[in-house]
Amino acid sequence: MRALREAAVLLAIAIACSTVAYFGHPKAPSFHVDDLERELDEILEMSPVLWVDARSDEEYQSGHYEDSISLNEENWESLFIGFLDRWLPDQATVVYCSSQSCLRSHEVARRLKEELDIEEVYVLRGGWETLMEANLVGGPEK
Amino acid sequence: MRIAGRIAEFLVGVAFAWAGVVKLLDPSAFLSAILTYEVFPYQLAVAASLITPYLEICIGGCLAFRVMLGGARLIGTGLLVAFIGLLTQAALRGLDADCGCFGSSVSDSESGYTWPIIRDILMLAGLYGCLIVDRLKISGGAE
Repeated sequence: MRALREAAVLLAIAIACSTVAYFGHPKAPSFHVDDLERELDEILEMSPVLWVDARSDEEYQSGHYEDSISLNEENWESLFIGFLDRWLPDQATVVYCSSQSCLRSHEVARRLKEELDIEEVYVLRGGWETLMEANLVGGPEK
Repeated sequence: MRIAGRIAEFLVGVAFAWAGVVKLLDPSAFLSAILTYEVFPYQLAVAASLITPYLEICIGGCLAFRVMLGGARLIGTGLLVAFIGLLTQAALRGLDADCGCFGSSVSDSESGYTWPIIRDILMLAGLYGCLIVDRLKISGGAE
């Protein structure tokens, strides 16, 4: 019984800390990440679109979607310049990473929204796996 | 025997605290790792990614400093059993899941599920080893 009480106290402390972190941690994940996501069909109807590959440099070099540019958090400073060279204000930006469970694309999209103060930034639902299933890119890159 | 139990308990505590701190440094990486198990819906995975690191740090601190041991062991056991269950189902389903146990490390991904499962079983043994030593001490009187 005492152990249960102590477990409840520890759980309460953890929940309290995580609540504070959710509102205060700069990298805290969002419960509403789906707001950014769009299906491939929907994205293909947009025009013009700037594709952004949020996977690692190695993955990008081993294969990427046609005309996409690399932009990831690891090398943000150097790659962001390349993004700015290609980005146009009237253009939608679509970010993808390796799969549905990968959140790098969400981080990149969120950061682009914040730094450029733009609305037209989306994440491809399913990422690279979706592009492969649609035969828009080659085989697995891993 | 008693010293070995204390050392094991301390080491399990340090491992828990370390795992929690690493996850706190990059919560999104841990969330990604949870999602690769393809078990939890997104909202639940977010909640788990937020709470688990703090829970691990609390458990680690309690085990290392020997406070609220009963509660720490109870939650620690629950977490470790859950981790072992998740890893085992991912291995059986052939998922390319990222363990996420101590952050998103390359070595974990490359070693597959064997080492993370063994590590969790060892930590579980460490928790129960301490409990058994304590019980023996109680039933056999003070050393």
